[in-house]
Amino acid sequence: MTDHELVGKVGRVTGRVAPGTVGEMMLPVRGGVEAFYAYPADGLETIEAGRRAVVVEYEPPRTVMITAYPG
Amino acid sequence: MLMYKVAEPNEALIISGWGAHSGPTGDAAGLGFKIVVGKGALVIPGLQTARRLSLDIHEAELDVQCVTTQGVPVGVKAVVIYKIADDFQSIANAARRFLEQEDQMDAKVHNVFAGHLRSIVGTMTVEDMIRNRDKLTQATRESSAMEMQRLGLTIDSLQIQEIGDPTGYIENLGMPEAARVAKDARVAQANADREATEAEQEAEALKAAARSQSSIKQAQVQAEAQKAQAVAEQAGPLAGATAQQDVVVQQTKVAQLQAELTEQRLQADVRKPADAEAYKTRTIAEGARDARISQAEAEAREVELRAAADAKRVKLEADADAERTRLTGQAAADATRVTGEAEGDATKAKGLAEAEAIQARAKALAQNQEAVINQQVAEVLPQIVAEGAKAFGNIGQLTVLNGAQGMTDLMTQMIASGIASLPTLRTLLAAASANGSAPVADGTATAPTPKAETQA
Repeated sequence: MTDHELVGKVGRVTGRVAPGTVGEMMLPVRGGVEAFYAYPADGLETIEAGRRAVVVEYEPPRTVMITAYPG
Repeated sequence: MLMYKVAEPNEALIISGWGAHSGPTGDAAGLGFKIVVGKGALVIPGLQTARRLSLDIHEAELDVQCVTTQGVPVGVKAVVIYKIADDFQSIANAARRFLEQEDQMDAKVHNVFAGHLRSIVGTMTVEDMIRNRDKLTQATRESSAMEMQRLGLTIDSLQIQEIGDPTGYIENLGMPEAARVAKDARVAQANADREATEAEQEAEALKAAARSQSSIKQAQVQAEAQKAQAVAEQAGPLAGATAQQDVVVQQTKVAQLQAELTEQRLQADVRKPADAEAYKTRTIAEGARDARISQAEAEAREVELRAAADAKRVKLEADADAERTRLTGQAAADATRVTGEAEGDATKAKGLAEAEAIQARAKALAQNQEAVINQQVAEVLPQIVAEGAKAFGNIGQLTVLNGAQGMTDLMTQMIASGIASLPTLRTLLAAASANGSAPVADGTATAPTPKAETQA
């Protein structure tokens, strides 16, 4: 398992991602789907639950920086 | 084979010892032990140690007294479902903390989460806890994310099972709604009850009407049936009566015929003979009558003739008698007349003689009036005395005081009074004689007598 396996992956936000709070998103990894803590990559963006997002950065063990995925 | 260890899908092999340091590079480098997941690994006995770390799901039950952000004390019962995360970093963190102590993991996590839950509840309201599940998970993440990562755990779920409500907040929270719901329920129930009652009553009315109509129809049908039955029951007697009537009619006819027969028979047997008999009798009677009439006439004639003969005879006899009687009477009359004439002559001669006597006496009296008066007084005196004595007859009881002497005196006085009246009487008689001498002879002489008596 390496970092690059997560960066670039697209998943769905399951907990609202916004500045000042901890969001959550589901990502396919190791043959399953796991929940990761999510923060906005630019620190400002707000991504509502249900939206698709792309992992920009991975912070082990279970934190990802994401940004909204268009579409 | 004993040296080859296989990790089950839900566990990780933690191999430490000789050669285990040469693990994966990168972040896992310098880990100090080897983590094997989902595959097998050779473990050299004596030099290496392999321990299993379960990646199973764990559950910790929490019962924490908390205060909400509104300051409402609540007792929260919650369940935390967590597991050791599947990535190497998390497994390494967890292995360092919980390896060989997995049975204590629940207690430790419980203590950690008690604090977390208290802080989570402190950021929420009761309403959020009840309704806002997203906020609960959000708060859970915010408060426990970093610590969970440190422990190599991941929280699959946090469930609040029960919220104790010692102050009745939740109860009061739901009360308006409960009241409204209860009201709506009652209203709905009342409406439904009313509608049901209306429907029932309408149905009852319809049923009653139907029952009534049914009863009416039944009664009608029953009446018709009874009528028909009565007619049927009467049909027998009626037919019987009709038949009997016919029988009676026929019997009447028979009787009439018999009567006619009898009449005819009587006509033939009785009347005709009777007529004949009557005729015969009448004829006989007429004959007899005629005979009797003839006989009577003959007898009458005979009687008549006889009577005529008798009459003639009687007449002749009467004539003879009459002639004889007439002759006899005539003879008697002649005799009587002769006798009467003779008597008349005798009487005449006698009367003449008396008249001459009276005349002579009157002449004599006229020559001596006093003597006549005395004679008349002497004739009248007894009457006077008798009339005076009548006065004593009217007296009921006469008391004479001097006894026999008194009685004699009384009588003497009475006679004396009568005698005393004699001169007066004599005067009257004289006057009367002077006026006419004739009246002295007849009964008028009694008239002065009562006068003399009253004067006495």
